Amino acid sequence: MNKLAAKYLRPELVPTKACQGCAIGAIENWLLQAIDEMELKQEDVIFGAGIGCVGRQTFATWGGDNFGATHGRALAVATGLKVARPDKKILLVVGDGDAASIGASHLIHAARRNVGVTVICEDNMGYESTGGQFSPTTPAGYVTNSSPYGMAEQSFDPCDVVIAAGATFVAETTAVQWRQTVKVVKLAMQNDGFSFVHIRFPCVQNFGASALGSRDPLVSMEWIYDHTKGKTDDGAETDFAWETGIKHDASNSRPEYSKVLRDLNARVRADMAAGS
Amino acid sequence: MALSEELVAPWAEWQESYQDGQRLLEAGTYALTEGAVAAGLGVFAGYPITPATDIAEYMSKRLPQIDGYYLQAEDELAGMHMCAGASLGGQKAMTATSGPGYTLMHDAYGWAIVNEIPVVVVDAMRVGPVSGITGAPGQGEFYVSRYCSHGGNIETIVLSPNSVQETFWLTIDAFNLAERFRTVVTILTDQVVADMFEDLFLPGDYGALSDIVVPRRHNLTMPFFPADSSEIDLPPNVIGEGTGVCVSPYTHTEEGYDIEEMEAQWSQTFRLINKIRHHKDEILRYEAVGLDDAEVIAVAYGATARTVKTAVLEARRQGVKAGFLRLISLWPFPDELFERDQPYLVCELNYDGQLVREVMRAAPDKNRVHFMGKSGEMHTVAEVCEALEGVAKHQKMPQQPYIWTEVR
Repeated sequence: MNKLAAKYLRPELVPTKACQGCAIGAIENWLLQAIDEMELKQEDVIFGAGIGCVGRQTFATWGGDNFGATHGRALAVATGLKVARPDKKILLVVGDGDAASIGASHLIHAARRNVGVTVICEDNMGYESTGGQFSPTTPAGYVTNSSPYGMAEQSFDPCDVVIAAGATFVAETTAVQWRQTVKVVKLAMQNDGFSFVHIRFPCVQNFGASALGSRDPLVSMEWIYDHTKGKTDDGAETDFAWETGIKHDASNSRPEYSKVLRDLNARVRADMAAGS
Repeated sequence: MALSEELVAPWAEWQESYQDGQRLLEAGTYALTEGAVAAGLGVFAGYPITPATDIAEYMSKRLPQIDGYYLQAEDELAGMHMCAGASLGGQKAMTATSGPGYTLMHDAYGWAIVNEIPVVVVDAMRVGPVSGITGAPGQGEFYVSRYCSHGGNIETIVLSPNSVQETFWLTIDAFNLAERFRTVVTILTDQVVADMFEDLFLPGDYGALSDIVVPRRHNLTMPFFPADSSEIDLPPNVIGEGTGVCVSPYTHTEEGYDIEEMEAQWSQTFRLINKIRHHKDEILRYEAVGLDDAEVIAVAYGATARTVKTAVLEARRQGVKAGFLRLISLWPFPDELFERDQPYLVCELNYDGQLVREVMRAAPDKNRVHFMGKSGEMHTVAEVCEALEGVAKHQKMPQQPYIWTEVR
C-alpha cells in the first residue's frame, strides 16, 4: 500500500475495487496527494460519494466520516450537512450521471448558493456500472450500448453550467494529467465556496469496447492523451479536443452559503436584542 | 352513566403539566412551526406548496430568531435530502409538503430510514391524484406514508393530528419518536387542520419543556448500525465527529460498509422492522369515546374525525349507541384497537378506500366493516348520523349522494 493510502484510507478497502485500467483508483490517489499537500487530517474532511462506478468504488474508502448518497443527491445531502458542520471540508466524488444528469439541478443550485463543497466529477463518459449507456457528457456520435448507431443527442460540459450558475472555482483535467489535477484540486479545496473539478476518462471496459474497439487500457489512455492535446502522435487533429485547465477562478470572492445564513441569523438576533 | 372518554397520547399529561403561557388564535401551520421550535428544531428545508406553504413562511421568519436555518430547496427531493444531511450533522431537521411533493421525497425517505437518520416530515394532504384541487382537503396518502420507499423491508411511524392545539403537542412528540427510534416520522395532517385557525395554548418558556423533549445525542462508537437488534433509544449517528461512520444507500454492515451478502440484508431488515414492531406500545396514540356499550364504532383520523366525533355524540342523543375511535398513530397500524366484534364505520377523505382496508384486515369480521368515503369535502354530521343509524339498526349503509361505500 502506498504511503498516502496508508495515511488516509481504510486498509481493508485498498486497493480499489475498480476494473483494471480504470482511472478511479488513480484519481483518488491524486485527491489524497492534494489533501496531504494541504496538510489536512482525516477528521478535517467529510467524504461524500454518488452512485455508479465512481460512487461505488470510492464509497467508504476514506478513513474518516463517509456518506454515499442516492443517485445524484450527494450535493443535496452535503448542503444540509455543510449548514450543520460548517467547520468541515466536504469533498464529493461523483460521476457524470450524478453531476450532469440525475443530479444536475442540485449541482446548479449548490453552485448558485456557493455551498462550501468541492465536487470532483469523475466523468467516465457514460453509465458504466449499468453496462455502458450514453450520458449527457458522451461525445455526440459515439457508439455506446444505448446508442448503437451513434449518440444522437448533443452533449454538454457541466463546467459551463456551473460557471453560469455561480460556482466560484471551476477546472477541468483528464486522467492523463496527474500534476495538473493535484494542483487544481488543491485550489478547489482552498476556495471557501462551491468548487467543481471535472476529470475526464472513458471507461476502459464499456466505452473502450463500444467506441474505441478495444478494452486495452493503453488504447484508452492514448485516446484520452490525444484528446487532451487535440492531436494524435502523427500530428493529425483529433475529432475534438477537451479544453483543460482552470476555467473560472473567483475563489473566496463571495461568502459561502452557510456563512450567509449565519450572518443573517446574527443580524436578525442583533436586531431582536436591540428591540427593533 | 357518563360516556367513557379516553385520550392515549403523551400530551394528555403534558397539557396538565404546562399551564403557564399564552393563548392565541392561530393556524395549524403556526402550531406546527412552534411545536418544531419547542422540540429543538435546527434546520428546516423544503419547497413551498399549498397547503404547507405557511409552514415554510413561518419557518423562514422563526428559525433565524433562534439561530436555526431555513433552507429553501430546489425541490422536495432535495429538501428532504438536505434535512437528512443536516440531521447527520447533528441538527434536528424537518421538511413540510403536500401530496405532490411527498411523492418526490421517496428517494430521500428510503435513504434516511435505512441509515436511521431522525427526520420529521409533514404532509398536509389535499385531494388528488397529482395536483388535484389545491385548496381542498384529502386523505389519500394513508398507504403512501406507510410505503414511502421502494424495496420493502421497513416499518414506518406516522402520526395525524386533528386540531391546532394537538398539532403543537404532536409535533414535539414526532421529534421525540424520530430521535428515540432513529427514523423518519411523518406527520400526516390535511388542508383543514393545517389551514384552520383555532384556540392555541403555547407554553411561555420552551426551555421548561426539557422534561418532555428528547434531546439530540451523538453515537460516537461502533456498532453504528446494530445488526439483529430491535433496541431503541440509541443515540443517532453523527457525521463530522470523526467516528468513521459510513452512511449509504446500500445494504450495510454494522460499520456502514456496503455488503452484498444475504445474512447482512436479513440482519439489517430485522433491525429496521423490529425496532418499530417490538415497541409498538411506545407509539400507540388514539382517542376513544363510548366504546364500552357501542353497537357501531365510527373510525376516523385528522380533520375527518372532527365532524365524525360530533356525529357520534349527536347519534347518541338520537338513541343510537355509537362509539368513536380516532387514530392518532396510523402506522404501525394499531390492530389491537379493532378487537371488539362490532360493526365499524370507517370515514375517510378518499373514494378508493384506504384506512378501511386496514380496519377490514384487523377487525374480527370484515363483512361488518363499512366504508364511508368522501372526496374533497368534509363529512357532515347529518351524513354520518344517518350512516351510524343505518349500520346500527339495519346492518347496512344508507345510500347518500357523493358518498362512496364500495371497497371491493
